[in-house]
Amino acid sequence: MRRQKDTGDGAERELVSSELIERCKSGDEEAWREIVEATHRDVYTLCLRILGNPADAQEATQDVFLKVWRNLSSFRGDSMFSTWLYRVASNTAISKHRKRKRQRLNEAGVDDEVLAQVPASGSVESAAGAKIEVERLEEALALLPDGLREAVVLRDVYGLNIAEISAEQKISETAAKVRVHRGRKRLKEIMFPEDSGTETGER
Amino acid sequence: MRCEEVREVLPAHVKDGSDDLTVRRHLARCPECKAELARYESLMGGLRTLQMRSVDVPAGLFDQLLAIPERSSRLDSARHHVARHRKVYVGGGIAAVAIAGAAGAALWRSKARRPLTA
Ligand SMILES: [Zn+2]
Repeated sequence: MRRQKDTGDGAERELVSSELIERCKSGDEEAWREIVEATHRDVYTLCLRILGNPADAQEATQDVFLKVWRNLSSFRGDSMFSTWLYRVASNTAISKHRKRKRQRLNEAGVDDEVLAQVPASGSVESAAGAKIEVERLEEALALLPDGLREAVVLRDVYGLNIAEISAEQKISETAAKVRVHRGRKRLKEIMFPEDSGTETGER
Repeated sequence: MRCEEVREVLPAHVKDGSDDLTVRRHLARCPECKAELARYESLMGGLRTLQMRSVDVPAGLFDQLLAIPERSSRLDSARHHVARHRKVYVGGGIAAVAIAGAAGAALWRSKARRPLTA
């Protein structure tokens, strides 16, 4: 689930060995258990970050593993299992979004509501090197409009590039870039609300 | 360059830097915009750390996932059942039979070819 280039620890290894996958393909239930055990937290976490609520994330996680089970026989060892799993997970979560879109608030309408929900700050210093509380950051992500959240999560948490995000979201690269840009900006406003006034000057 | 213009480019600047000298000059001179860049930088740092952090999974999810192979084969047999009885259910017999026949023939040919390549 984790992309090597951004972890920085260099000790990345595949949690699911090709031997384990072969055992699973031949119907070994213990092998399935080991694969699920090793990967389901990361899959659920990704789905939760993309979908922003636990019930949808739980449903999506089940869909992901159903797809994995059904397509395992076509998985060949030429790409990393975690990369493939990651792709299946983000596809599944994003298409779930699309299906739910109608029921949700549109992007423009959510602005005021988002800002109203943000807890009064004070816990976060706004100076250089300010510490970000990860729990607050997860909450702030959940407040972003779907399209912006998907883009920021894929780009800045999981390290996908713009081309990959445009493919996942089925939008142009320009549109993907704009979403990342707007998403970061919105997230910054949520995390640092006291500093988002419009003091201006010319220098 | 005005502060508002700089603020507009910061969300991109924070990750990819900027070749735009006027932006860099402004940042060197303007403490407000520099502080704003620092906020983006800590935000990006925070987002990166999320990658290594997984959240608690809901109770029951693990068992639901373990049951998938069994659930999947139940779904398959239900689907086969529907497919086998499609003529009865849908009534549009001829086309379905023709397609099934073609698929069967293709399968047969690929089976027949196998001994030759072995
Ligand atoms: Zn400025």
